[in-house]
Amino acid sequence: MSSRLPPVTGEWIDRSRGVDFTFDGRAYRGCAGDTPASALWAADVHVLGRSFKYHRPRGVLSLANHDVNTMMQAGARLNLRADVEPLEQGMALTSVNTAGGASGDRLRILNALGGFLPVGFYYKAFHRPKALFPFWERVFRRMTGLGTLDFGAPHIRTPKRYDFCDVLVVGAGPAGLHAALAAGRAGAKVVLVDENARIGGSLGYQRGGSIEGFEMLRDLERDLADLPNVSVRPGTLAAGYYADHWIPLVDAQRMTKLRPRAVIVAGGAFEQPAVFRNNDAPGVMLASAAQRLLYRYAVKPMDKALVLTANADGYRAALDLMAHGVAIAAVADLRADGEPSALSMRVKQVGIPVLKSHCVLEAEAVGDRLVAATVCPTGADGKPDTASPQKFACDGLVMSVGWAPAAALLYQAGASMRYDTTTHQFVPERLPAGVFACGRVNGVYALDSRCEDGERAGTEAARHLGFDTPERSFSIAPERSPPSHPWPIVEHPAGKNFVDFDEDLHLRDFHNAAQEGFDNIELMKRYTTVGMGPSQGKHSNMNAIRVLARIRGVSPGEVGTTTARPFFHPVPLSHLAGRGFNVHRETPLHSRHDGLGAVWMQAGVWLRPEYYALPGKRKSEIVRDEARAVRDAVGLIDVGTLGKMELYGPDAGAFLERVYTAKFSGMKPGTTRYAVMLDESGVVIDDGVVARLSEQHFYFTTTTTGSTTVYRELQRWNAQWNLEVGIVNATGAFAAMNLAGPKARAVLRKLTSLDLSNEAFPYLALREADVAGVPARLMRVGFVGELGYEIHVPADRAARVWDALMEAGQDDGIRPFGVEAQRLLRLEKGHIIIGQDTDGLTQPDEAGLEWAVKVDKPFFVGKRSVEIVRKNGPRQKLVGFELDAIGASTAPRECHLVVRNGAIAGRVTSIAWSDTLGKHVGLAFVAPDMTELNSPFFIRADGGTMVQARVVPTPFYDAEGLRQKVVD
Amino acid sequence: MAAALRSSPLAHALATLHPEWIEVAGMPLASKLRDDRPDRSAKLGICDLSALPRIGLKGPGAADWLSARGVPVPDQPNTWSALEGGGAVARLARTEFLVEDGFSGKAVARLAPDLKPGSPGVYPVPRQDCALALTGELVNELLVQTCNVDFTAQTRDARVVTLTLMVGVSVTVLQQRLAGTDCWRLWCDGTSGPYLWETLTGIAAELGGGAVGFASAFPDAQLQNLQ
Amino acid sequence: MKILTCPVNGPRPVSEFAYGGEVRPMPDGATCTDREWADYVFNRSGVPGVKIEWWYHIASGTWFYAERDTVADRVIRTWLPA
Repeated sequence: MSSRLPPVTGEWIDRSRGVDFTFDGRAYRGCAGDTPASALWAADVHVLGRSFKYHRPRGVLSLANHDVNTMMQAGARLNLRADVEPLEQGMALTSVNTAGGASGDRLRILNALGGFLPVGFYYKAFHRPKALFPFWERVFRRMTGLGTLDFGAPHIRTPKRYDFCDVLVVGAGPAGLHAALAAGRAGAKVVLVDENARIGGSLGYQRGGSIEGFEMLRDLERDLADLPNVSVRPGTLAAGYYADHWIPLVDAQRMTKLRPRAVIVAGGAFEQPAVFRNNDAPGVMLASAAQRLLYRYAVKPMDKALVLTANADGYRAALDLMAHGVAIAAVADLRADGEPSALSMRVKQVGIPVLKSHCVLEAEAVGDRLVAATVCPTGADGKPDTASPQKFACDGLVMSVGWAPAAALLYQAGASMRYDTTTHQFVPERLPAGVFACGRVNGVYALDSRCEDGERAGTEAARHLGFDTPERSFSIAPERSPPSHPWPIVEHPAGKNFVDFDEDLHLRDFHNAAQEGFDNIELMKRYTTVGMGPSQGKHSNMNAIRVLARIRGVSPGEVGTTTARPFFHPVPLSHLAGRGFNVHRETPLHSRHDGLGAVWMQAGVWLRPEYYALPGKRKSEIVRDEARAVRDAVGLIDVGTLGKMELYGPDAGAFLERVYTAKFSGMKPGTTRYAVMLDESGVVIDDGVVARLSEQHFYFTTTTTGSTTVYRELQRWNAQWNLEVGIVNATGAFAAMNLAGPKARAVLRKLTSLDLSNEAFPYLALREADVAGVPARLMRVGFVGELGYEIHVPADRAARVWDALMEAGQDDGIRPFGVEAQRLLRLEKGHIIIGQDTDGLTQPDEAGLEWAVKVDKPFFVGKRSVEIVRKNGPRQKLVGFELDAIGASTAPRECHLVVRNGAIAGRVTSIAWSDTLGKHVGLAFVAPDMTELNSPFFIRADGGTMVQARVVPTPFYDAEGLRQKVVD
Repeated sequence: MAAALRSSPLAHALATLHPEWIEVAGMPLASKLRDDRPDRSAKLGICDLSALPRIGLKGPGAADWLSARGVPVPDQPNTWSALEGGGAVARLARTEFLVEDGFSGKAVARLAPDLKPGSPGVYPVPRQDCALALTGELVNELLVQTCNVDFTAQTRDARVVTLTLMVGVSVTVLQQRLAGTDCWRLWCDGTSGPYLWETLTGIAAELGGGAVGFASAFPDAQLQNLQ
Repeated sequence: MKILTCPVNGPRPVSEFAYGGEVRPMPDGATCTDREWADYVFNRSGVPGVKIEWWYHIASGTWFYAERDTVADRVIRTWLPA
């Protein structure tokens, strides 16, 4: 058996290309252009999935991207929306959320237990007794969820792109097409998107048994093709609206972040289901779904249909069905007066009985298929008069009782909407600048009116952007009859009259929720979960609003709507993730480190060598050996990640005195000075070395992670103070390396003619000279506690200098050393690292930096805060400590807490085993009364072990600093 | 080329492409890559021009300093003017300038010795750029995948300079006709260069383009002038 | 994504900028009370309304002022410090 029709004009399928696929293990054959749902329906498969809660059989509802009960899995691909996604050759589709497939789902037993699963069930049950919760959690994890995650799924990198245009038109139905044409003819660069595989919208399928609309589409397509400035993109979803017209466009391949200058929303409306008992039985579907089956996929939706309607569209659907051989049992019209247009005459002429003021009380299914529907008159109160029911045998029930605007983008753009009683729908009341709406989303339904409304919107958008197109007046005729019925809802004592198909919510659930006090739309949404399923309320919110309005005795407008957040439809995570850029900076010596086997670590945006791997050696050994080389011979480390700033101008010294705590005006050229930077609250935020090159030229360093923000803040201060200075961020322009160790001088001497004697180039001095033929700035620094030269050279000549130093140091056993060894070496010297030994609250006095803070200056950033804080004394102090002999495995680690009398009294900021000293040494914050030398304190290490430490003076190593100041 | 004094921020990345080097202003420049295809530059070529000589300066006196030395100073922020020999003087925001010589210019060599600290209101900016040229018909596709600025709105004649972020990196962008080839020029800090290069060439490869040598991107350039 | 107009570089997506907080006059640290200073350092007004803020265009290093209505999230104007 097949329900595939003979060729239908305008069909989307390609009959010459068969597509083989399986569903729940059975083989089927569809056509290219089919969706899984249409191909299965053509093969007379009517149970396409199971509902979420009661596991009821579900079939085609909308074919418009909200048939969430027909979500399927295809291999690793989850959440495949069977109603809209293209069928592909070889697809192995499985239903989700079932035990044993869609047709034989063993969990359908839950349908019979519905009475025990009231609204709010999950919130109320299972959390008492608490001990049973893990059990229930496992049960529900097994029973719920949509699909099975495949952890072996391929990692897909999907490129994103930006795009720009004048006008974006969302929706290529009659209104959108006319809008795009009008804007395009005015000269605007237009992008026209439609989420469907082909453009045309309702022109393609809401035909009313006539070919006119479809021919109009052909004409419009031709007109568009004549406009090269209009880009037509079917299969593209405008997924949301973000500030200032920023629209993510999603297609099968990627996300495009489009920035149009104006947006026209012509997204149409979602047809809404009627609410009656068993309105979810396979065979009950929206009229537009039946028409999509007919005209897109050439599938006969049913053999005999009952049409339930409240608008002209239902009559068109009846004519469309009849034209393709579907018998129409009757048209039941909710309206007392029936259809005012000529359509009612046409329906009568073809012999379809019309029952005015009638509703469907219930549908009846046998097995998994609709077999009959019971119709009864509607009383004046809108309630069914069940005294004289009429039963119609039918295998299809087609609903056309109303529409809800696809207004998510308008809401997201900040449009205000009002409930319009002439159309019984929400329509835009006030639109933000540059945002336009037309067609059904604007409350305009008659085809001629939609075309004109589109032209109006396109013209207005073009004029808004300054395109020279004549102003025109448009008169959109009001609708003859409301396209939506205010109450397409029928109560039934036995329930199962569904309002939300995603979440299996029936009418009674809303009454219960209101009774329990959740009678605000936002509360009701969260309590009942209406609109929270994958279709996000597209077929349920409007009816929920109508229900709540009637419960509260107010209008739908007063109930209002819930927030419509992006994204409009589900979007694959791979689209959102994009390529995944990994921004990083490399020093000019990167390739040298690579060649030496560097193991990389991240330091802010930089990559730095943590240590240099050696075959057969563990990291701890290597770090120890690298440190030893510096202590015993000479080492070389790349410190090019330090921020490096040039400061020029007559006010340069004054500027530095304002941003750093020390004094600089009196510095002599050729000297350097340690510098600490505070924020306005007196917290230490950065440190570095300031060197004076000449009277009006300083060069200074910042921390690796601080360079960008320090430069930024200095620029801001400069913009306010208007001192005569120029700041240049030369971080990337200079490479820097530190040559350190007792043999540093001997190595350097081979490469420079500079007099390196202690008299000519003493500790903390700065000199400019060629090193290996490259102009360099050399600073005698002592960060690692040995004789050391920090050598700064232009980045493009850095490798040459590095190579020369490594070669010159070969006989002296030079070793490159990484960040890990440097951390150990500086810790042995008790030198702090900002950000490691300080945090976001550390005052200079707490970190032992009192000496660097010169409060006798008139001003520096943070000065007043330091003065205030000093009145109270520090809350904590950074002290050096050592552990009594202890195995490395039980030693505390950074951030372990100092504990006194069961209370936190501080924390470890740095700790390491020092081979040089033969013990663990570290820095810790402790309470101010715990700083007495040799006093013990306890650190809570891993597993709660209390480890005893003692306060000791720093530096731990070479307390007099003789090694870095080494005279000869 | 071991004798070359300077090296490009992309020297390492280029070395993996087996280039033939020529030397420009003391820096090796990849002239031909082993698998340069003739059509690649026409489609989407990315060429390292870091070797071109350049200087930078900023400050309230920078414009006058340049004018006094006969350099055509662009009078609007974020525009550029042309130098003899294909070079460019780009005005970066308001008071900063980037001067780069083309393939046969001599301006930088003339100006550089003068540019020392000390002139009031003139502050030298050391330039250690990763400098690229993007060529070919798909340049815009590369730009829209990496940068949120609409470059199609710019005409070459307007000589616009754009300071923006590209894949997270601060860049200077302008459109130039260099030695007969229309191209987009990109400058970024050299330390961000390898990342930018890797990202751009990766995307370009997907689009059918990729890294190209200088001789492929600029077939009409007079190479002898460079050496 | 919002568009912010840099006075030098023109309209750009806000991702090209860094926010610098509300513009607030610094009291004279030499004469103000501890309380006035602490108020300046620690307290920020969260009252919605029209505020003048610091913004920084990253790629060009441009600090500028933006007058912004935080209720409507609308930038009224931007200009450079004198």
